Amino acid sequence: MERNVLPLKTELNPERDQAFVRDLMLKAVAVRRQIVEMGHHSRIRLHYGALMGMVEMVTLLYFHWLDVRPEDPAWPERDRFVLSKGHGAPSLYAVLAERGFFDRRHFDRFRRLGSILQGHPDRLKTPGIEASSGSLGQGLAVACGMALGAQLDDAPWRVYCLVGDGECNEGSIWEAGLIAGNLRLGHLRVLLDRNLKSSYGPMAGRNDVEPLADKWRAFGWAVFEADGHDFCDLSQKLARAEAVEGQPSLVICHTLKGKGIPFVEHYPAKPNILLTEEQYRECLDVLCRAEEEVRKGPSPRPSPCEGEGEGPSPRSRTPLRRGLRAALPCWEGEGEGRGG
Amino acid sequence: MGEVKDVTAAYSEALVEVGLADPRVMALDADLPDSCMTEPFYRACPGRAIDLGVAEQSLPTFAAGLALVGKVPFYNTFAVFAVGRSFDMIRLSVAYARANVKIVGHAAGLSLGYAGPSHHALEDVAMMRALPGMVVLQPADAEECRQMVWWMKDYAGPVYLRLTRARVPDVHAAGWRFEMGRTEQLREGCDVTLYTTGDLWVQALRVAERLAGEGIGVQVVNVSTLKPLPPGEIVRHAQATRCGTTMEDHHVVGGLGSAVAEVYAEFVPERALRRLGIRDTFTESDDYDVLRAHYGLADEDVVTAVHSLLGSS
Repeated sequence: MERNVLPLKTELNPERDQAFVRDLMLKAVAVRRQIVEMGHHSRIRLHYGALMGMVEMVTLLYFHWLDVRPEDPAWPERDRFVLSKGHGAPSLYAVLAERGFFDRRHFDRFRRLGSILQGHPDRLKTPGIEASSGSLGQGLAVACGMALGAQLDDAPWRVYCLVGDGECNEGSIWEAGLIAGNLRLGHLRVLLDRNLKSSYGPMAGRNDVEPLADKWRAFGWAVFEADGHDFCDLSQKLARAEAVEGQPSLVICHTLKGKGIPFVEHYPAKPNILLTEEQYRECLDVLCRAEEEVRKGPSPRPSPCEGEGEGPSPRSRTPLRRGLRAALPCWEGEGEGRGG
Repeated sequence: MGEVKDVTAAYSEALVEVGLADPRVMALDADLPDSCMTEPFYRACPGRAIDLGVAEQSLPTFAAGLALVGKVPFYNTFAVFAVGRSFDMIRLSVAYARANVKIVGHAAGLSLGYAGPSHHALEDVAMMRALPGMVVLQPADAEECRQMVWWMKDYAGPVYLRLTRARVPDVHAAGWRFEMGRTEQLREGCDVTLYTTGDLWVQALRVAERLAGEGIGVQVVNVSTLKPLPPGEIVRHAQATRCGTTMEDHHVVGGLGSAVAEVYAEFVPERALRRLGIRDTFTESDDYDVLRAHYGLADEDVVTAVHSLLGSS
């Protein structure tokens, strides 16, 4: 498989960087496959909606953005990543293993006594995990503290944090956001997973957080919006976030819960499930076809998991962007970040 | 006994000392640098003191982030908020993560008497003792406080330092060294042991003199490390006397009384123990000393407890 050959933190162009983007897409398929295997073989319920929805963001971070050394996880100059939505741990584990932070054999003991892979991130047990999280609303503030330390030391490294939109119901998120704005934490870049749902269901009309971008801007942040499944768009918005100086930046990443696994995308209840043998086979078939699509592609857009031509089922034929737009009435798609 | 001193002022001076000695040291506040006497640190170590504003629940998490990138943050606010407001943050982001955060709970116990029960910190030790790996300290005097701050700076792990507003004389002579996890006998006696934390040793010594007049031998023990408290540290005092009494400016549930009772129950069950402190009630407003006496820490309460234990009441 092709290795990283582009300089880190550069914008990806769908034509120029076609091979590189295809490589990222293949990694995303591998990560999804690993998540499915993790849940199936451990016989543990996983929240596949949240896990599948964040794959591209974390894959991009670990394969094109973060300056980290899997062979030396404690390298002092590394970029830091904090998974504030700690329930996404299995996705992060899959990416960390794919990146070489630990051996895949550890998945055999996933969430079992003595395992390095706990239910939620544990910085003392898992190589590559920077902060212990799992109680929502804390990771962002921890990332803020790291960014403050980096700012005081004028450090060359940066702090990245993935926050959930449901997590934005926590008051501590806004407390941290306000402080980060006041402290002008320019070393901090946050990705906000905007999938429109919290655990119990859609947020609209219940525990809504809109207008989300305006709120963060009002708190002193530079805000951008991206398609959270499009490596090129994500990289372009992250690159703009990188250029921000003297204030924290945030990319609202519009995503689809369950992305890449049609029956999970359309699951009527919260997809916190134990996969049946049939569902397991379906997941693997879908991912297998997605991989074939990517390999034969020439166009890296849209994402292979939403192949436009010969999708595995009528549901998954919905092109990515159209599907997202339909689900996200408030999203302006290519809208520019106003705070940058 | 020496000159009467403000323990918080001693903390303030020590924080500046360790800040000047070690560039990793930082101070975080939540809009109370005046009450917590951290202002001198802001002047001595500019750039390393951050006031987050009225944001107590962000103190542990911001401090954890700083600690994870190599800083040694001491965060300061009233104990009732330092621990109570942000317990979940302390539990996960500090204790579970073993972040090198120093939590300083100011004006603990009934210190903020007139402010009333919203500001009385009477559960903080119970909560902090319940967390695996948390070190819980409460100094007996200014010198012990100063040495604790130096110890905290060099210790790699989470610590809770509990400070009250009490003004106390020095009990520790020059050359004395603080040892984390050790108890300290302040007075010998063979009938009853009074275990105290914080400034309550002053009262214990006073009562001991009074009881000595009745022919009762009172041993006074300062327990400044509330966790970890090795059983042997209590057992050796327990076995030297017939019975024991704990005295604390905290609920008797979960604090010093519980810590000592746990050792008595497991290791010296033949010895009787009484616990003096606030007894499972929400308090009311009044003067600090008035409240202490009202809620079970009057000299008379100690005398009564000892008489009861010795069957001589």
